Amino acid sequence: MADEDLADAARPDPVAPGASRRRRRGGAGRAPGDPRNVAWLYVLPGLAFYVLFTLAPLLHTVYYSLFDWDGLTEKTWVGLANYSEALRDGVLRDAFLHSGILIVYYAVLPVIIGLMLTAALTRSAIRGFRFFRTTLFLPQLIAGVVIAQAWIWIYATDGPLNRFLELIGLGSLTRPWLGDFTWALPSIGAIGSWVTFGLCMVLFIAGVQKIPTSLYDAARVDGAGAVREFFAVTLPGLHNEILVAFVLTTINALRNFDVVYNTTAGGPGGETMVPSMYMYQNAFLYNRVGYAAAIATVLAIAIFILAAIVLRVGDRSERT
Amino acid sequence: MKRRLLAVLVVLACTLLAATAGAYAGKEATTTLTMWSYDNQDPGLEPVLKQLSKEFEKSHPGVKINLVFKSFNDLVGTVPRALASGSGPDVTEGNQGYQTDAQLVKAKLILPLTKYVKKYGWDKLYAPSTWGMFRWTPDGKQFGKGPVWGIAQTGQNIVAFMNRKKLIVAGVNPNKLPTTFAGFERMLAQLRAKLPDDDPVIFAGNKEGYGFIHLFGGIWGAHVKAQSVRNWIYHVPGSRYDTPGTIKALGRLQAWGKAGYFNDDFNAVGNDASAGEFAKGKGAMWIGGDWDSTIIREGLGAKNVVVMPVPPGPSGVWTSIGGLSGPWHISAKTKYPDLGAEWLNYVITSPRAKALMYANQQIPSDRRAKAPKGDPYLAQVTKAFQLVANDDGLLLYTDWASPSMYTTLQNQFQLLLAGRQTPAGMAKAVQDDWTKFDKTLGS
Repeated sequence: MADEDLADAARPDPVAPGASRRRRRGGAGRAPGDPRNVAWLYVLPGLAFYVLFTLAPLLHTVYYSLFDWDGLTEKTWVGLANYSEALRDGVLRDAFLHSGILIVYYAVLPVIIGLMLTAALTRSAIRGFRFFRTTLFLPQLIAGVVIAQAWIWIYATDGPLNRFLELIGLGSLTRPWLGDFTWALPSIGAIGSWVTFGLCMVLFIAGVQKIPTSLYDAARVDGAGAVREFFAVTLPGLHNEILVAFVLTTINALRNFDVVYNTTAGGPGGETMVPSMYMYQNAFLYNRVGYAAAIATVLAIAIFILAAIVLRVGDRSERT
Repeated sequence: MKRRLLAVLVVLACTLLAATAGAYAGKEATTTLTMWSYDNQDPGLEPVLKQLSKEFEKSHPGVKINLVFKSFNDLVGTVPRALASGSGPDVTEGNQGYQTDAQLVKAKLILPLTKYVKKYGWDKLYAPSTWGMFRWTPDGKQFGKGPVWGIAQTGQNIVAFMNRKKLIVAGVNPNKLPTTFAGFERMLAQLRAKLPDDDPVIFAGNKEGYGFIHLFGGIWGAHVKAQSVRNWIYHVPGSRYDTPGTIKALGRLQAWGKAGYFNDDFNAVGNDASAGEFAKGKGAMWIGGDWDSTIIREGLGAKNVVVMPVPPGPSGVWTSIGGLSGPWHISAKTKYPDLGAEWLNYVITSPRAKALMYANQQIPSDRRAKAPKGDPYLAQVTKAFQLVANDDGLLLYTDWASPSMYTTLQNQFQLLLAGRQTPAGMAKAVQDDWTKFDKTLGS
């Protein structure tokens, strides 16, 4: 009996969900071993982990954000006061502004670079294709702290970047990149581009392989050149991959902590302060756990809204 | 088959029994005290604490000292929660000021040391005004008042280390250095004029943000009273940062920057690293913590370095940012508070401790300690500390004034030196941070 049910549930149902419901309702009522109840059993382990380690801490954070709390002594209920402070907090506003700029470096640039590389790597057979693909993806696999240390060295006053500039006669451009008011944020952004473009590229290369070659053949018969072919076939064919890449990298940009913490810690003069860094400072340095929780909640909502916008815009562009 | 099983069972039982017995025996024979410290920089007090703890174990059979070293940020960021959990250290360093110590006191995580101050006569270690940095009212709100909660091992002082050879090249007599702030500024101008353009007068490192918080102390103290600075840190009502004296002093620092006295990459160089660069011969001067004196001595050679605090303004009182090292606390949850206090007494006040500290270029906090003879370099460093300490001119650390003061000062000094903030604007921003926090203290 139970075995039969398991087998039933595991079998892909050819009927649309609505139809299956009607069919089962039409049966002898809902038995204890009803497939729909068994399904809950299947998702239970995953659901338990999700509730325990994601949903519960999330709700806990929202709960803490309603208190004035130093993390140790008695909490004081303050309602939404932390949120109204967050709305008026100039530092937090700047932090979100910096995150907005970082999205250009973490999401927009990597997607563009990834598309260009994909076009270059897939158009004709390249010797050592696997090598390039692996090497360009490698930054994704390195821990943020290690990346930060490597780039601190690259950006140092007597580091390779400045040495290179001197070598090609651009000595006047050399500067302590991470300590410079104008250049610190773009310097961090460049690290982000370097880390994420490999991910975009691998996603796109995988996507290109799903595009039927007949489309390319048709384009070529119609006399399309490389550029025309890219815009007419490759780009529309990669629609879903581009969407996924945008969502992933935008989330990465907004929750950036490790690279900022290890390179500039928000300096110089607050020029590279980002929301998660500010949240950390409030929770662990200023003993303001309640306010930090409010920042975390605001950040989570911002990420949620942005991801929803990207997906919505993506959906619409597909329909038209 | 059956016999083999029996044998296995017997062996298993014996092992289990032995293990339990061993654990029991171990528990009865040793008392383990866990101590957390962040004084392991270059190498700082680490060798001193290790050696003294070994000796303490020898004179106290059955006691084991478990020393754990962490970086400053790691320790300060985790110690409140570790103590609250009950499985934290028995004795630990905290940090003076509202960010850490106020929290520990308020949450009742550490013990007042009143009993031990009396028992061991610790009150003679420091001047009465110095004890303020360890005093808190039990609600953690009033700083500088109430019982004593901590005790420190070494003195700390921000001083100027000068490269003797470069002074001579620039026409400054290293044996007749200025004793007034005005004279000191004239010397800086002379150094700037005589040194090559690409060699800074003062090699600075401000990457972590404390470089200029520290460096500013000498300039500040030449323009304001030391007591008014300490009052401001202690939140004595009516204290202000945005006074004409402070604004003028901030203007002097900005002027030093504009005159090209500093290396232009100071925001990208770590503070200890900048001491290392100075020790390699960069710049004519380094202004920073005397805890880095070992690096400088090893780089330039003891005979090639002149050490002195930035000289006083019209008041004639020698001042500098400085105070005592991190405060040692006894956990409120430890089973062995008396033993912890005995260890503290040994590593801070015993003649053996003082000898070991001097041998590691660290100045004992005990104001009665005398530097060993025959070491002119160490004598200079000690003299610089005592000059300020005896004038009651230690300004303490400005960032103690509020939990967010460190970040505020870091940002404001960076903006000031980049010419993006005026001295008056910075003074207002710092005072605003103070006022905002002051309101949360009530009255």
